[in-house]
Amino acid sequence: MWLSIKRGAQNFSSHLRSLDGLLGVHRSQIKIKFSVKTSRRIRHLIVKMSGQSQRLNVVPTVTMLGIMKARLVGATRGHALLKKKSDALTVQFRAILKKIVSTKESMGEIMKSSAFALTEAKYVAGENIKHIVLENVQNASLKVRSRQENVAGVKLPKFEYFTEGETKNDLTGLARGGQQVQQCRAAYVKAIEVLVELASLQTSFLTLDEAIKTTNRRVNALENVVKPRMENTITYIKGELDELEREDFFRLKKIQGYKKREIEKQMAAAKQYAEEQVAEKVSLKKGISINSAHNLLSKTVEKDEDIIF
Amino acid sequence: MYGFEALTFNIHGGYLEAVVRGHRSSLLTASDYNNLCQCETLDDIKMHLSATEYGPYLQNEPSPLHTTTIVEKCTLKLVDEYKHMLCQATEPLSTFLEYITYGHMIDNVVLIVTGTLHERDVQELLEKCHPLGMFDSIASLAVAQNMRELYRLVLVDTPLAPYFSECITSEDLDDMNIEIMRNTLYKAYLEDFYKFCKKLGGATAEIMTDLLAFEADKRAVNITINSIGTELTRDDRKKLYSNFGLLYPYGHEELAVCEDVDQVRAALEKYPAYQSIFAKLSYGESQMLDKAFYEEEVKRLCLAFEQQFHYGVFFAYMRLREQEIRNLMWISECVAQNQKSRVHDSVVFIF
Repeated sequence: MWLSIKRGAQNFSSHLRSLDGLLGVHRSQIKIKFSVKTSRRIRHLIVKMSGQSQRLNVVPTVTMLGIMKARLVGATRGHALLKKKSDALTVQFRAILKKIVSTKESMGEIMKSSAFALTEAKYVAGENIKHIVLENVQNASLKVRSRQENVAGVKLPKFEYFTEGETKNDLTGLARGGQQVQQCRAAYVKAIEVLVELASLQTSFLTLDEAIKTTNRRVNALENVVKPRMENTITYIKGELDELEREDFFRLKKIQGYKKREIEKQMAAAKQYAEEQVAEKVSLKKGISINSAHNLLSKTVEKDEDIIF
Repeated sequence: MYGFEALTFNIHGGYLEAVVRGHRSSLLTASDYNNLCQCETLDDIKMHLSATEYGPYLQNEPSPLHTTTIVEKCTLKLVDEYKHMLCQATEPLSTFLEYITYGHMIDNVVLIVTGTLHERDVQELLEKCHPLGMFDSIASLAVAQNMRELYRLVLVDTPLAPYFSECITSEDLDDMNIEIMRNTLYKAYLEDFYKFCKKLGGATAEIMTDLLAFEADKRAVNITINSIGTELTRDDRKKLYSNFGLLYPYGHEELAVCEDVDQVRAALEKYPAYQSIFAKLSYGESQMLDKAFYEEEVKRLCLAFEQQFHYGVFFAYMRLREQEIRNLMWISECVAQNQKSRVHDSVVFIF
């Protein structure tokens, strides 16, 4: 059996003594584990009972019951919302997966055709066309920009490309091969389009995957840990309250019983006194005080100094 | 004297003409191309090529083979043959042979100029140059810090100096678009080559002027089509046309005002020689124009070999070799990229 002790607890041996009585377990069988608590203001002891899920160890008062009920309602609502979020994310995920598959196929085709366009350009304009074009370049004219898109609460990055600045390469291959060079450039621009799209699809895929895992983890945690814990705590508090009530009731009953007996005793004592008084009066009238006779007799039991023997 | 070259040509040029004709017979034939087109991988291509004259150049390459390696080695073979011929040549054949490579030299110079302007590494630039266009002082071009110094260096060190001084001042070099500069230089080179061939006279002059005229016209048409829709003005366009050829001067007038491929076609239909080229293309299409031009060029180059005792065979051989290397590059790329169906689109059979 495990027991978690809150930080700064003093005299935990006294805790042990009181608790083992409560739990019905011998002190030697209680193990101690220090842990950092989850809830911010209320540091609870979590008690694990064998065969059941944990419950929070709280003071079983009515206020606490109200608080726990509110938390259970919150947990239930949170669970429903998260489940909806997880479903929405999964739908998006599947859609992106389908798009990725088709984009990858088309990318294969496009890369093949653009490589072939380069071959055609090399054929007509000479082998050196590659070097000529490369040497003439200062900056990239096709650039990629990224921005955030919000999908069901998850921020997905999206890339898009834009052309900046003019290319001075319109006249490349003026004397031979100009057409092929321009065609090659168009083919490669298309290839870049497809590649940028594929890149943004793949990053959203990975991000969504992470988000879905986290959300599912939270849903499962709520479903399997938090809610049962709350329910057990509420059951426990209710049980304790009932027991307290029963104790109170029992105590009341017992006290009533005592009081009744007290009253009866007093009544009996009073009655006896009254009878004795009556008897005294009667005996006095007859000239003897039974009381004093009694006293005399009883007194001889005690030592009287006047009496020698 | 035209017609009497047989008497004196063989004294100086006989050995080299024989060498060139021997090389010409080792060009790949249609059956070779068919075999190559059937190949599945680059290793098959290497195997087929090792049976041809390219064998010794390719046999030391480790697999996996790359298409650029194949092209590099074939170009290396061409460069070796060219150097061999250049060593053995005397004037004026040696000058003629050098003229053939000035085109590549212009490309290399322009490449180094652009690279230096954008602060690239010199060694990398030198590696990217075409081997046929290398000359000794090319590395000194990369030392220049700005255009002014570059201009001075170019005037002093390169054989292209006269082309620079004729058409470009140092201020032009700064603002001019690199392509316009390249084409202006090439125009100057073609005109110079044309004058030189005319000076040589005889069969050389006749055949070479014909070939150069075709080259100039081809460039004019390409410049027109490629500058449609760009910022090149009509006057600039006209400045890039050479001042010889079938299209000079009336064709050039018409081409300068063209705004559309169909207008170009209309302008060229007046010349029966070029009409057949455009007949191969359907209306509005211009992609296959380059291939049509290559085919026509190959036909004319082959005709150059029909006559003896002129220098045109050297020029024709170099050009045919380059076309062959282009074919090989195309076939290897198609095989490597798994596009076998497109192989026959662009292969130009020489025989």
